[in-house]
Formats: sequence, structure tokens, C-alpha cells
Amino acid sequence: MTSHPPAAAAQSGSSGKFTILYFASAGSYTGKQMETLPAPLPLSKLFATLEARYEGIGAAVLDHSLVTVNLTYVEMPSGNDESEDAAAAVIIQDGDEVAIIPPVSSG
Amino acid sequence: MASPQDQLHQENDELTSPGCYVALTHAHLDAQAIMDRVRSPAAGAMVLFAGTTRDNFAGKAVKELQYTAYNKLALRTMLEIAQATRAKHGLEGIAMIHRLGVVPIAEESILIAVSSPHRQAAWRAGEEALEDCKARVEVWKLEEFEGEHGVWRANRDGIMGQKVENA
Repeated sequence: MTSHPPAAAAQSGSSGKFTILYFASAGSYTGKQMETLPAPLPLSKLFATLEARYEGIGAAVLDHSLVTVNLTYVEMPSGNDESEDAAAAVIIQDGDEVAIIPPVSSG
Repeated sequence: MASPQDQLHQENDELTSPGCYVALTHAHLDAQAIMDRVRSPAAGAMVLFAGTTRDNFAGKAVKELQYTAYNKLALRTMLEIAQATRAKHGLEGIAMIHRLGVVPIAEESILIAVSSPHRQAAWRAGEEALEDCKARVEVWKLEEFEGEHGVWRANRDGIMGQKVENA
């Protein structure tokens, strides 16, 4: 995970993949525990990418979930205030490990 | 339910730092072993919490429970909680272990042991560590109800979680 202007990502033509892990209800919804998706991908496009692959996952799972990139929680871009939204600049890179973290229930 | 993540990181199922031990396991939990992790000649009290799997949720019969984890992140979060709890309450030691996979009803799913010079700090630390775990640690519980789909529980609201269509 790196933070830099979206323009830089647009210029990098390198093709790669990141791993996405689906825990709990995310795994039930997708029918998978993990898969790989093309990188780089702006974090701001992650939920739309998943919604396109798994229709309805946004309302059913993602709206209630947190997201980590390389074991660090990231703030999801709000999408309606791009210039001031630092999260909008985060790009998921080749080799990154992203995880969908639904509400936890240990104990 | 052994997920690919579980198998991938089987060898990394514990973390330690001075006075702190955290672990994930698919085996039975051993109360004596976790207490021995925090045993100290400087301690005048040990408190052990054992969370066990209940046979019902709001009156509905639960057949069995399965726990799954994001092992790497769960261990990291558990160690953060252990270190913060130890520092806040001046503990001699704190040890936390969570069981994964199928846990039959009435068996232990989590053990937390703390030791401190005096009992008050141990009582408080044990409770706080458990509440922090339940709020934050990246472990999920699937409850299988008699004659129904499984449900992913969410600690934060205590309401029914999401049904699993293919469970």
C-alpha cells in the first residue's frame, strides 16, 4: 500500500495482482475465502469492483465491514469529496494483501 | 473450518513479548497450561477467564459453533491488547489463547489468564482484556442452528448476524 497521487498510478502500466481475503459473511457471499484481482487498483474503486463481481455485496456485507491492506486498517474513500479525501489517493499495489473484515465475534 | 489462511499460517500461531503470550489453536484449550504462562513469584493473584460455547442464542438451539480467524492480524491485535492491558494494570503476566475450528457445545473457546501482585488489578485486567478481545480481535463465530442455516455472529450489536446460504 502506498499513498501517492492517482496520476502516478495511471502512468504505471505494470500489470500485477493483489490478493483479497473474504472473511465470515464476505466469504459466504462470494463463495470464496480468497482470490486475486488485477493491480494496481485505487482503493476508491475497490467496493465498485467487488459489487460488479458480486451483485449486492455492498449492501449485504461491505457497508458493515472494515478493510485492511497489508494488515493495516484503511479508511475507505467517501467518494464525495475527492480533493480533501486522503484515502482517495491510496492505490492497491501488486502483491498487496487486502482483506474484508466483517464485524468480529471472538470469545 | 480450516481456511486456507489457517493452514498458511499454522506455524505462526503464537506471539510473545515480555510478560505477554497470545495464541490461536485448533486443539483443546488447557487452563493449567495458560495459567502456568503467567505464574510468577511476584504475583499474589492469578485470574483465569474461560469463555465456553453456549447451546442457544436467544432461546434458539445451537448445534455447534465454528471459529475462523485472520490469523496474522488476529495475533497482532491480541498482542496489542495484551501489552496495553499489562501496562495499564501493572500485570506480571497476561496470556490469551483462542480456539479455532469446530468447538463442541460447553467447551472452552477462549482462555485469558493474568497475574498481578494484588487481586484487584487482576480482576479488572482480566475483564478488560476479554472485552477488548471481543470488540477487536479478527476472529469470527459461525453458529449452526438446529434445522437452519448457519449465522455469522457479530459481537458489537448482539443481534442475529448474517445467514449463510450454503452452510
